[in-house]
Amino acid sequence: MAQTSWTEKHRPKKWEEVKGQGEPILKINSFIRGFQRKGRGKKAILLHGGPGVGKTTLAHVAANETGSEIFELNASDLRNKNKLNSILKPAIEQMSLTKQQKIILVDEVDGISVVDRGGLPELMRLIQGSAYPVIVTANDIWDKKFSDLRKKSEIVALKDVDHRVIKEILIDILRREGKFLEGESLAKISMNAKGDVRAAINDLQIVVGLGGLDVSMDKRNKDIDIFSVMQTILQGKPDNSLLALFDSVDKPIDEILLWLEENIPVEYRGEELLKAYNALSKVDIFRRRIYSKQYWRFLAYENAFLSYGVSASKNPEGVKSGFKSYKRPTRILKIWMNNQKIAHRKSIAQKYSKYVHVGGKRALMEYPTIRTFLMNPGIWKELKLTEDEIEYIRKDVVVVV
Amino acid sequence: MASEIWTEKYRPLKFSDIVGQDDIVKKVKSLTDSINIPHLLFAGPPGTGKSTIALIVVHELFGPNWKDNYLELNASDERGINIVREKVKDFARTKSLGNVPFKIIFLDEADALTPEAQQALRRTMENYSSTCRFIMSCNYSSKIIDPIQSRCATFRFKLLDKDGIEKVMRRIGDGEGLTIDDDAVELLYEGSEGDCRRIINLLQSTAHISPTINKDIVSTIISHAKPKDIRIVLDYALSGDFQKSREKLLDVMLKEGISGQDVVKAIQKEIWNLHVEPELKVRLTEKTGETEFRIVEGSDPFIQLQSLLAGFVLAGMGK
Repeated sequence: MAQTSWTEKHRPKKWEEVKGQGEPILKINSFIRGFQRKGRGKKAILLHGGPGVGKTTLAHVAANETGSEIFELNASDLRNKNKLNSILKPAIEQMSLTKQQKIILVDEVDGISVVDRGGLPELMRLIQGSAYPVIVTANDIWDKKFSDLRKKSEIVALKDVDHRVIKEILIDILRREGKFLEGESLAKISMNAKGDVRAAINDLQIVVGLGGLDVSMDKRNKDIDIFSVMQTILQGKPDNSLLALFDSVDKPIDEILLWLEENIPVEYRGEELLKAYNALSKVDIFRRRIYSKQYWRFLAYENAFLSYGVSASKNPEGVKSGFKSYKRPTRILKIWMNNQKIAHRKSIAQKYSKYVHVGGKRALMEYPTIRTFLMNPGIWKELKLTEDEIEYIRKDVVVVV
Repeated sequence: MASEIWTEKYRPLKFSDIVGQDDIVKKVKSLTDSINIPHLLFAGPPGTGKSTIALIVVHELFGPNWKDNYLELNASDERGINIVREKVKDFARTKSLGNVPFKIIFLDEADALTPEAQQALRRTMENYSSTCRFIMSCNYSSKIIDPIQSRCATFRFKLLDKDGIEKVMRRIGDGEGLTIDDDAVELLYEGSEGDCRRIINLLQSTAHISPTINKDIVSTIISHAKPKDIRIVLDYALSGDFQKSREKLLDVMLKEGISGQDVVKAIQKEIWNLHVEPELKVRLTEKTGETEFRIVEGSDPFIQLQSLLAGFVLAGMGK
């Protein structure tokens, strides 16, 4: 097994080697050429997208293709004002000694946290004065702390890479490594990666290293357990990432609905309670519309109300915290136990319904009204009730005087 | 042999016996007499005579052979449109017996079918139109797709008025030798809500206790059918205990087997008895109305009811 990581070894060097990001490549290219020719316009280009879709790779390829030297600053560097000034400032202002072109890469900018005091405004100031094109990468740029950065940069979204494209990339690597893996395993790795090329290549290397025997790699996107989902929604600030929350939960959306239904009152009071159940109410209505119209686009709304909608129902200033014990939904169990209890009632209602020309459900609803007079052997005979059913009627009838 | 279940025992067998729906009776009778009936769509609330009229049409057309020429299906019971189609096909394949050139299929609660199932049904209706006539019943004709509506003659049934309900009560009272007090009549009418099945069932239940029916017996029976527990549910909510309130509600619904719609109806009536500000009563009524609407639109009534209870919790805080 090769010691070097395949993700580094096979990182593309040229545009033509990069797969699945056609449009971003065009945009980056024209940004850099425009910058070098005119030196006007926006100073930075902001590449954003999920992990492993090629943000950093594109920056490096861009440098390579334009014959530029790359100056890289990444998450591991401290990004407070002083540090930025001592490291980034000289790089950004000086002309390169060899008069070589330069590209500044600020990698993973969303790693800048509140701890990096003054880092972000200083970065913005430096970018404005930069003599070289700046490439900024980020996973998520929609936090409001990036609003200035968004305004001053050209924004390019990198999409998750299609699993078929990932499969092509993997096949290419295997060819170059002189290894083989059967198609089914390749497909599985490609699917598991969920658009993350780096993850796929890492998995590939491991699987090939193991002799290609076991490809039951865990899904990269670790399943989140339902309790932390409850906590995220009910305690945390509403955040756009909530919209994708249920993708990583190993439970169908209908079940998540029941969990929330059960646990909303654990955290919410008063107005919050009303808003949250109103969100659930909307979820239920969209769910019905999906089924009756078979219009699955509505799922987006069901999902939004259930995650963000419930989360945003809490008081804005009162973000919750602390450990709460969330309960398993009990309603379905109660319904089930009740169904056991009223199984006889149902079978009686069924027989009755056929006899009196109404539907079974209607008959069951009528039951409380008719149960008094069901205490009548003539009717038992007529409906051909069994001993058990008769016994049920005997016990069920409330004796009134 | 007459049935011991009064809704059957007193089900009208002739057009002239039907109480109410005068206009519909007249029209359907003349269609039946001409032995040239189109597909029929009966729309209206439960207990207004839709099935009864369908059965009379069948009896009038086929006489003693009616059972061979008649198929009754309930769309809310028959799982999936495929079963409906198969049964329809099997039934329609053979020719009708007697002088009438077609058979009758009565599809009860047709609005329980999804629009897709209705589309499929429409095909079936067309394919067998020479040998079969459909009579469909539904609560809301708006839930029947337009192509089916346009193939049917539609009749809208109305709830029985007080005179109608009283007439039914007297007829049965005479037949069973009951004496019904005047204020009991009043109470029974209120309890019936214009639903003929319901009035007969209530009557049989009260008569089961005593042939002399007074107000007290009626209110015992009606309160059994309509639990006062709803008030307890609301009181919990108004006192701020949401969890207890919904627990009690689920308990009541399961034990009594009452539907979400019935609960919401009971809540709507109970609001006027609550000790809250008049303005709040109005707001709660509005919220209740919205909830009833959403129950009809949604799939899980209990979710909608919890949203309503949350509204009561807030009202309890004076908001």
